[in-house]
Amino acid sequence: MRKISVFLIGLLYCATAAHAQRPDLSGNWILNGGKTTFAEWHLTADGERRFKAYDFKKDDPALKCIGTSWTRVWLNPNVVVRITQGDDFVRLQYEWMDIDRRIPIVDPTASNAKRGNITGMPGLGYSAAWYDGNTLVIDTNNIEPGYVSTMQEWAGLPQSRMMRTIERISLANANLLDIQITHVDPANYRDPLVVNITYPRTTFELMNYGCNPEDASVVEPR
Amino acid sequence: MAAILKMHRWLSLVSLLAIAAPAFAHHSVPVNFDQSKDITITGTLTEAKWINPHSRFRLDVKQDDGTTVEWLVEMGAVNTMRRAGFDIDKFVIGDTVTISGWPGRDRNRTMLLRTAVLKDGTRLTP
Repeated sequence: MRKISVFLIGLLYCATAAHAQRPDLSGNWILNGGKTTFAEWHLTADGERRFKAYDFKKDDPALKCIGTSWTRVWLNPNVVVRITQGDDFVRLQYEWMDIDRRIPIVDPTASNAKRGNITGMPGLGYSAAWYDGNTLVIDTNNIEPGYVSTMQEWAGLPQSRMMRTIERISLANANLLDIQITHVDPANYRDPLVVNITYPRTTFELMNYGCNPEDASVVEPR
Repeated sequence: MAAILKMHRWLSLVSLLAIAAPAFAHHSVPVNFDQSKDITITGTLTEAKWINPHSRFRLDVKQDDGTTVEWLVEMGAVNTMRRAGFDIDKFVIGDTVTISGWPGRDRNRTMLLRTAVLKDGTRLTP
């Protein structure tokens, strides 16, 4: 627990807002299905139990058109993410589930910093952002229990109300985003869970998603 | 200008490669479908829903004993399929279609479309 606290404090407070070096992340990006890595995870006994109990036919919140966990949102391939940067906000529009994320830019050392959330998606918590040199840092807390991922071998990795999520977004080069997501959740994981994803720039435009829960649920032949 | 055009072409290529990657994410391919098995069915198209997060067909498939059963064929998001140039207008209700793909896990008569062959022989891959 102490190790995790020290890690979290280090991750959050090594940052100094550096507006002058703010990276230009603006534009449209798309996951090419290529480079996604989950560092080895170490579940607690409770986390292991929740992971094993996951049932993809009924537990996936996306079956109700609901996003859970920013890792899950970023992991959706072949849908556009549009990033717009303002002086006091950053806006990330995810085509998947039409998630429109407007996050205030804050002073990370200030207490009670303003945070943004997504109505109807409590698993995505409340986020605040700042710049740490050439990296956009997004800190998310107050997350409702759910799943970090519902895909591939990571399907069912749990998240608890204790989870804190830190996204660090930077440019690997002018046409490639590096996204590192760290989930700190002592209820489910003995160490922070770290996910790395790369997003190439795209010329595709953002499209409406229009998910309808009736269509998103698991359908069987009649 | 030439450099900009070259960059634009490069980005288009990257985007197309992205689309070519497995497109079915909401239900997660390996979680929901058995990629070690290939199956093919032929039947009459009774429903085509071009939607997000995944499109789907219903097909009436005649069995060896003469009875007809329904199959559910799932696909990627319609946004993804449109971007990939998958010609959704070619699918007409009532037409005979042959579908190849991976069978569903623990779900009878379901599959993920990998290739569709229309009645005129046109072969479409999302």
